[in-house]
Amino acid sequence: MRPWCDGWRRVVSAPHAIVGVLVLTLAAALPLALTLRDALRDHLGSSLEANQAADGVNYDWWQEFNLQATGIATTFTPSVIGAATTLDVATALLDERRIVTPLAAALLVYLLAWLFVSGGILDRYARGHSIGGHGFFAVSGTFFLRFLRLAVVMAFVYWFLFTYVHTWLFDRWYVDQTRDLAVERTAFYWRLLMYAVFIALLALTSVVFDYAKVRAVVEDRRSMAGALIAALRFIVRHPGRVVAVYLLNALLFVLVVGVWALVAPGAGGSGLSMWMGVVASQCYILARLVVKLQVMASETAVFQRSLAHWGYTAMAAAPQPTPPVIESV
Amino acid sequence: MLFAAGLVVLCAGVAESTQEFDQSAPGARSPRNASYDIDVRLEPGDRSLHGTERIRWRNISAHPTSELQFHLYWNAWRNGESTWLRERRLGGNTTTPRSDAWGWTDIRQLRIRWPDDRVDALTPRLHFIAPDDGNGADQTVAALPLPRPVAPNETVEIDIEWSAKIPRPFARTGYVDDYYFFGQWFPKIGVLEDAGWNTHQFHSGTEFYSDYGVYDVRMTVPRGYVVGASGREVSVSDGPNGTAIHRYHEEDIHDFAWTTSAHYLVRTRTFQHPTLPGVQMRLLLQPEHADQEQRHFDATAAALKNYGEWFGAYPYDHVTVVDPAFQSGSRGMEYPTLFTAGTRWIAPRRDIALEEVTVHEAGHQWWYGAVGSNEFEHAWMDEGINQFSEARADEVAFGGNNYLVRRYFGGFIPWVFTDIRVQRHWDEGINGYRAQAESDAQATPSFRYWPSTGGNITYFKTALWLHTLEKWLGWPTLERGMSAYFARWKFRHPQPEDFFATINEAAGRDLTPFWNEVYRGSDTFDYGVQQLTSTPAGQGRFRTTVVARRFGEAIFPVDVVTTFSDGAKKTERWDGVERRIIYRYDSKARARSVQVDPNRILMLDVNYTNNSRTLQPRADEASLKWSLKWMTWLQDLLITYASLV
Repeated sequence: MRPWCDGWRRVVSAPHAIVGVLVLTLAAALPLALTLRDALRDHLGSSLEANQAADGVNYDWWQEFNLQATGIATTFTPSVIGAATTLDVATALLDERRIVTPLAAALLVYLLAWLFVSGGILDRYARGHSIGGHGFFAVSGTFFLRFLRLAVVMAFVYWFLFTYVHTWLFDRWYVDQTRDLAVERTAFYWRLLMYAVFIALLALTSVVFDYAKVRAVVEDRRSMAGALIAALRFIVRHPGRVVAVYLLNALLFVLVVGVWALVAPGAGGSGLSMWMGVVASQCYILARLVVKLQVMASETAVFQRSLAHWGYTAMAAAPQPTPPVIESV
Repeated sequence: MLFAAGLVVLCAGVAESTQEFDQSAPGARSPRNASYDIDVRLEPGDRSLHGTERIRWRNISAHPTSELQFHLYWNAWRNGESTWLRERRLGGNTTTPRSDAWGWTDIRQLRIRWPDDRVDALTPRLHFIAPDDGNGADQTVAALPLPRPVAPNETVEIDIEWSAKIPRPFARTGYVDDYYFFGQWFPKIGVLEDAGWNTHQFHSGTEFYSDYGVYDVRMTVPRGYVVGASGREVSVSDGPNGTAIHRYHEEDIHDFAWTTSAHYLVRTRTFQHPTLPGVQMRLLLQPEHADQEQRHFDATAAALKNYGEWFGAYPYDHVTVVDPAFQSGSRGMEYPTLFTAGTRWIAPRRDIALEEVTVHEAGHQWWYGAVGSNEFEHAWMDEGINQFSEARADEVAFGGNNYLVRRYFGGFIPWVFTDIRVQRHWDEGINGYRAQAESDAQATPSFRYWPSTGGNITYFKTALWLHTLEKWLGWPTLERGMSAYFARWKFRHPQPEDFFATINEAAGRDLTPFWNEVYRGSDTFDYGVQQLTSTPAGQGRFRTTVVARRFGEAIFPVDVVTTFSDGAKKTERWDGVERRIIYRYDSKARARSVQVDPNRILMLDVNYTNNSRTLQPRADEASLKWSLKWMTWLQDLLITYASLV
């Protein structure tokens, strides 16, 4: 519990990181949202159908739009309303739904961006104090290339999980276990078991990679293979702390999603209600990002409390550049 | 003018394609020319059926026949090259049935007893034919050359001994665990019409066609198993080796299905109505759906009530509702006096999928059960008419509680979108129709439709053109036509022209141009607004120009309504024939909007967004709102995947 609370303190003490990742997420999503807006506007044109679409839901028009939609527009479904968003996205991940190419490209860019800022954020949480914007990006740049090497391993592992393990669990084992079932409830439990196994594998994998990144940053490791082995060693030697913090973070995630399910705005109208909906949605997105940052911070705290100390990083802070005013003196 | 004027009053002179002997037998409601006595034994050990049957068959055609033809539907799953499996592959399902999935029927013995008591053993003469596609690998139709012809109105008795391997579920028939559902399970004689035998092979996209008769069936199953079947249970007696023999009997039906399982919960209720006869409803329910008992009865009663009030009373005094087992594949199918519904373990009240399927299959007791159309050739006459009727009944009975539902996590977790109340034309499949509107002309024999799109033409196009008729002619007129059609054609085999003639008669006009568009053609309807301008014309007046356009090939009369900023409206009635029409107005107020078909009479219009245009568009507001909502979804997606790195 203490490393988890420690992680909270680190997250709260670095509001720039929170704002930064929110801006990053917005920046990744906004261009595509604008593209979709153009497609919706073009389809509605000067039609009176826009009135109902603006004031609530015009599912008649929506279905017409979907019939001619291509690319990202095909993902514009009722699942964008309220808490269905989260169900849909979780289903997309766990049921391995194919992501349309433009979204996959955006996702790749976003993941690379996260990979880039991860070094800086972890360094910030490890140090416990700011080293300035320049320092942040310098550290991010330093670790980006290392994390890219790690990402190759991550990509391979996740590819294996989603391609082979997922297929084996859901397309073979689940199908074999359920195709002769006369009772749906039993099939549901089998499905839950498959999800649990797959989520556990994803969680284990991500925890290993998380601690590899933490060790790479805190210990200034250049070898990502070494960082991975060190991460595994750390997890094996401190399973209680690692699992406890992971579960607390998972609980936090469930709490955030649960609250969102209760307060998520429906279709709403345009004008003020629309903007209130946007604010609520962005609060949810912010909360999700905070959860992710809390994962990073609490894992850093777990490691430092176990093998180092609060504020320790092997890499010295990047020197501040000489201000131009000094040269002019 | 294609539709206006020229009203042709068609009354007594309506041409009916009645077969010479297609009349009720004395004291009966139907010709009763194909009656069955069947003894069948279920062997759960090797998943097989063994049966003997006697068919009392009367030639009701105008001509003698020197051949009999039989359906052996289960042979569709005898080999991978059957027409059924070939068509399933064409439709996109390339899954190879697993080794224990196959099923078949073998006729062991066949004898014919003639009216003079002579008996001919004719088994060796049986041979398979493929009248639809010449597929030599298909064994779903067998022909039997006779030593002498059967004369019109002559009756023969055909004794058949057969056995069958029960398939894992195909086409809603088969077994899963200890649940069994048997449809099309016995050797069945084809329909002899004046034009000859109408005995189609089993196709993946179409259903069945058979003559009416009396069924007396004794089913031997393990003792303790619950049995549900077409007809009424007459007796249950002990059979040998721990079995029980369930005897069911029904008159004036054209098929017989049954089911058995050790796990059914049996519930009964009586449907009561001030003007309709009472009906005993028997529900065979899966234990995991025990809490949905009332919903099944309510939905069945909704069908009995609404169809009964609209079209005519349900013609039997009982109905059996089967709640099929998970993975049985037997959800949503109709048989005489018995049908399968289908629900989910998690089924919120505002998700009326259960009610929809129940009303639909119960509704088939009218459009299929009582009115015995040829489902091979004119599937729209049962499925399409019933889709329309069901959507109407759903709206009346459950419309206030019908919301869009999506299912997540492998389909197990439903989510109700309380912002989106389902409208009737969505239940009528408007989206499916629009996506495949030109795929086939409805007049094409249904079994020749392209397998993957045929349903859109059969179910949805029909439902939408009937809905169009309802709005165009008015419900009282259409109801009068449909109830007359039901009254005239129940326990008989109508053709499409019979339906059209009856509706023409009720409408008091010749609707042939409409039938040509919706039934004989595959053109689409698409009317819209091409242009709207309203500019100052001096002296405080405005010059407004409206151009309405026919974008599609099909023709239908539509209204064009222009609304002005002072609230005034100008309504024009356009026959819709020309490619475009221009209306010009000189008014004291600027035009605000124009709508083509504002009351949405033409439900078949494939693009309704282009039906209106306004000078005060709100597309910016709407697109901004929805793109922001979508952005949240995208952000959620990005963050979720980012949690892995």
